[in-house]
Amino acid sequence: MSTTIDIIVPDLGDFDDVEVIEILVSAGDTVAREDGLVTLETDKAAMDVPCPENGVVEELTVAVGDKVSSGTVIGKLKVEVSDTVVIAPAIQYEPTGDTTVLATPAKPDGETQKSGGVQTLVVPDLGDFEDIEVIEVHVANGDQISVEDPLVTLETDKAAMDVPAVVGGRIESVLVRVGDKVATGSSIAIIEAVAATVTEEVADATQTVVIAAPPPPVMPEAPAKQRAAPAAPRELPLINEAGFSKAHASPSVRKLARELGVDLTQVKGSASKNRILHDDVKAFVKAVLTGQADGPIGGGLPKTPSVDFSKFGEVESQALTRIQKISGPRLQASWINLPHVTQHDLADITELEKRRQELKGPAKERGISLTPLAFVIKAVVAALQEFPKVNSSLADDGESLVFKKYIHMGFAADTSQGLMVPVIRDADQKDVYELASELGALSAAARDGKLKADQLQGASFTISSLGGIGGTAFTPIVNAPEVAILGVSRSSMQPVWNGSKFEPRLMLPLSLSYDHRVIDGAAAVRFTTFLGQQLADVESLLQATP
Amino acid sequence: MADHKAQLVVIGAGPGGYTAAFRAADLGRDVILLERWDTLGGVCLNVGCIPSKALLHAAKVIDDAAAMADHGVTFGKPRIDALRLRGWKNEVVGKLTGGLLQLAKQRKVKVVHGIAKFESANSLVLDNGETIAFEQCIIAAGSEPMMLPNLPDDPRIIDSTGALELDPLPKRLLVVGGGIIGLEMACVYSALGTDVSVVELTDSLMPGTDKDLLRPFLKIVKPRYETIMVSTKVTGMRPTVPGIEVSFEGKNAPEIGVYDRVLVSVGRRANGDKLDADKAGVEVNEHGVIAVDNQMRTNVPNIFAIGDVVPGPMLAHKATHEAKVAAEVVAGEKSFFDARTIPSVAYTDPEIAWTGLTETEAKEQGVDYDVTKIPWAASGRALSLGRAEGFTKLLWDKTTERVLGGAIVGPNAGDLIAEIGLAIEMGADAADISLTVHPHPTLSETVAFAAEAYEGTLTDLYLPKKK
Repeated sequence: MSTTIDIIVPDLGDFDDVEVIEILVSAGDTVAREDGLVTLETDKAAMDVPCPENGVVEELTVAVGDKVSSGTVIGKLKVEVSDTVVIAPAIQYEPTGDTTVLATPAKPDGETQKSGGVQTLVVPDLGDFEDIEVIEVHVANGDQISVEDPLVTLETDKAAMDVPAVVGGRIESVLVRVGDKVATGSSIAIIEAVAATVTEEVADATQTVVIAAPPPPVMPEAPAKQRAAPAAPRELPLINEAGFSKAHASPSVRKLARELGVDLTQVKGSASKNRILHDDVKAFVKAVLTGQADGPIGGGLPKTPSVDFSKFGEVESQALTRIQKISGPRLQASWINLPHVTQHDLADITELEKRRQELKGPAKERGISLTPLAFVIKAVVAALQEFPKVNSSLADDGESLVFKKYIHMGFAADTSQGLMVPVIRDADQKDVYELASELGALSAAARDGKLKADQLQGASFTISSLGGIGGTAFTPIVNAPEVAILGVSRSSMQPVWNGSKFEPRLMLPLSLSYDHRVIDGAAAVRFTTFLGQQLADVESLLQATP
Repeated sequence: MADHKAQLVVIGAGPGGYTAAFRAADLGRDVILLERWDTLGGVCLNVGCIPSKALLHAAKVIDDAAAMADHGVTFGKPRIDALRLRGWKNEVVGKLTGGLLQLAKQRKVKVVHGIAKFESANSLVLDNGETIAFEQCIIAAGSEPMMLPNLPDDPRIIDSTGALELDPLPKRLLVVGGGIIGLEMACVYSALGTDVSVVELTDSLMPGTDKDLLRPFLKIVKPRYETIMVSTKVTGMRPTVPGIEVSFEGKNAPEIGVYDRVLVSVGRRANGDKLDADKAGVEVNEHGVIAVDNQMRTNVPNIFAIGDVVPGPMLAHKATHEAKVAAEVVAGEKSFFDARTIPSVAYTDPEIAWTGLTETEAKEQGVDYDVTKIPWAASGRALSLGRAEGFTKLLWDKTTERVLGGAIVGPNAGDLIAEIGLAIEMGADAADISLTVHPHPTLSETVAFAAEAYEGTLTDLYLPKKK
C-alpha cells in the first residue's frame, strides 16, 4: 500500500522566510529518507531539507527564490507503507490511532506471547543521549534475523553500542542509514516478526516495542492545520526572568535583547556602572555565534591563517573521528582557560622494576598484566591523599574549591579513534593487582570501542602515560575541571650520584601539569617529590589496601 | 463562508483595542476592529478617563478661583450650567472618538459593530448572526463597573458611567467605595456644589497606597466633604421619596443616611467571560480574567489578550503598551511586554501619583531601601500656586543607589511621575537625577531635590545627612 505525505520544512529555529536556493530532486525521483530535497539559505548558513521517508517525489511546490519557513509544505511524497505499520514520521507530529505500546512484559510466569506480524523496531532507552549517530547498519531488507541480533551500531560521544533485535523475523524495511541521527524511540526497521514465546530474560533486554494494532493505519493527517501560523509559539531560549528584570539596561536595550533571545544576566555591561548597551548585546551574540561559547565579551582570539594546501601539492581530506571532534574543543577550552604550568621530575624506580619483574610472571598466571602504570596509579593515590588540593576542582564561580572525598583515576588511552580517558573508580580502595586488572580490562574495552558512558565519567585526576612509546618529558593538558594531570615518559637507566660515585639507576620521568589558579609551584614540586618517594618504596605500594 | 474575514480581529475598540488594531495594520496586517458600542474609544474615551478629566478640569477652575479669594482675587459665586458643561464634555469625547474613526479609515482598518462571541479558535459570531473568520485574534474586551449585590433598581443609584452625566446635579451624594474612580467623581461633584460623603469598607481610602500619600489629600478634602467613613460597610439601600436611604455599619458611621444620589464605585470586573472564549479553548478565570504570557498570548497560540481582561492594573496606559506588544507579535515580531513599572494616578485634587516600588510593598517584600521626601513647602513654585501641602518621595536601592520607586502628591503629580518612570526604566541612580538640570521654578524640581537629598547635596532644605 502506498500513501502520500506532505514534505514539510523542519524546524529552522528562529529563521523565517528562508530562501530556496536549489532544488535537488524532481517529480518522479525515487528518494530515500534523509536525502536532501531542496537547499535553503539563511543569512547564516545553507541547509538541505531532508526527505522524511523513503519514497517517490510526487510533486514539489516550491521554486528557486521562494521563501519558506518552519512548517511550510514544499511538496508531496509517495511512500510505501506496510499494511499495519505506522511509520514513525521524521517530523514531530505524533502518530495517532490504535498504536499500543508494549513495554517489558508483566506476565508473572516470566513468559510472554509476542505477537507476530509486522512490527517496528525502535531504539531502546539510551538515557540522556540524543542525536546519536548510526555508525553501522547490520541488517538489510529481506534479512532473516533472530532475537538479539545486532541491528545497528550507535555511537555517542562516550561510547559505541549495538542495538539488538527484540524479535526475530524478516526485515521488511530498514529505516536508517549510516550517518543518521537517532534518539530513544526512533524507528530502526520494520520487521515481519515470527510469533514466538520469549522468556522474560530476553524480554527484559527488549525495552519497548511499538506495535500497531490491526485496524487500518491512521496516517498522520497532513499537518496543514497544524502548520505554524506566523506567530505560533516557538521554542524561545530560556531567559532568567528574575535576573533580566534587574539587569542594568534601558528599555530599548532590553527590546533588542528580547529580539535576539539574549539573557541579559549573562551580558556584562561596558558602560559606566556596568550599564548594558546595545553594543554589549550585539557583541555577546557575536561571541556566542563565533563559538566563543556561552562566553563573555572580548574573547576575540586571532585565527590561524587558512591555507589552500593543494596549491603546494597533492592533498587528501579525512574527516575527524567523532572522538577527535569532541576531545578537540575540550582540550582547547582547557588550554585557553587554565593557566598551565608543568613540573618535571625523575623518580627512581630501580627497586620497583626489579620487584615488578619478579611478580609479573605469577601475576600473568592469574591473568593479570602487572604494568608499571598500575604502580604509578598506586603511588599517585598516596600522593593525592597527602595533597588533597590536587584532587580538587575550582567551583564554577571561581569563588571556592571543591574537595572530592573520592579518588577516581582517569588514564589516557590511545585508540584508533582518538584519545579516550577511561576511569578507574575508587582507585584508593584497590591494591596494585586490582588496579592492574582493571587497567587491562578498560584499555581493551577502549581499543574495541566498547566503553560504557559511566566508564568515561567522574575522574578526579588523570594520568597520561606515554612511557611505553618513548620520550623524556612532555607537557600534558589538564583534563579540566580537574586541576592537574601527570604525564609519564619512558624510564631509562641513568648515572645517579650517590654521594661518592655514580650509580646506574632506572629513572622514570614525571611531568605534572597543573592549574596555577589552584596549585602553586611549591605545592606542585612537593607533590612530585612525594610521588617520587612513593615510587621508590615499592614495598609499601605492594601493601594490600585496607 | 464567513460574512467577514481578516488576518486579525481585535475585539473591543478601547485604548488597547484600537492601538492593537492600528499597530497591526501599520505592520501590514489586514485587520477588523470589532466594537459593541456605536463609537470607538471604549470606556476610557467615552465614559472614563477623558470625560472625567474634562469635568475635573472644570472642578479645578472653580476651586482655584475660590482659593484666590484668600490672596486678594475674588470672583463671584460660579453659576453652574450642568447642561452646557455636559455638552462641552461630550464635545471633547466626540472629537476624540471621531478622530479614531478617521485614523481607522486612513489605515484601512475595517470597523465592525456588534457583540461578538467565539465559535471556534478561528471564528466569531456577532449578535446579528454575521460571522467573522480570522487567523489571529486579540481580545481587548475591557471591563465594566461592578455593582453591589441586591441593590434596588433605582435611577438614583448610579455607576461611574452614570456619574459622568451630571443629570441633574444632586444636593447630597454618597460615594460607595473610596478607590480612585470614586474619589475623582467625589472631587468633581464637590466642586460643582454637591455635598459629598464617601464610604469605604477598608480602613483607608485608596486601599494599598502608602498612607502618607493620603495625608495631604485628606487635609484638602476633609473640610470640603460632608463625611468620609472608613472601615464602614453599607448594609442596605432603600429608595424613598426624599432620596436613597442607606444604612451603614461601622464605628464612626451614622446608622442611616439619605442621599439624592448614590455612586457605586466598588471596582471593575473584567469582561473575559462574556465572549464564549471556551469555544475557542481560551481559559478564563472566575473573575473574567484571561492569563497571558509575556507576549500577551493566551493558552491558545493564535489568540492574544490585552488590557483590563488580563491580570494587572486596569489602566489605559498599560493596555496600549500591551496592545503594541500583541500587535507586533501577531505580525511576527519578537516583542515582549517588558515594562518595569506602570504608573498609577488619582486625578483628584490634589493629584496622587506613584510608580515603581511603593513603601508598603518594600516593607512587605523586605527590600532594604532608603527614602527621601521633599515637602512642597520647599518649592517656590508650589508656594506660588498656593499649594504647599504636597510632597515628592523617592525610594532608593541602598547598594546601587538606583531609584526603585516614587510617589508625588500635589497638583500635576500625574505629569511629574513620568520622569520617575523613565528613571526606573533607565536604571538611573540618585546622581543621574540630581545632576540633570531641572528647570526653575517648577514642581519638577522637587524630583531633583529628592535625589539631592539622597546624595546629601540638597541646599534648599536642611535635612539630616542620609549618607
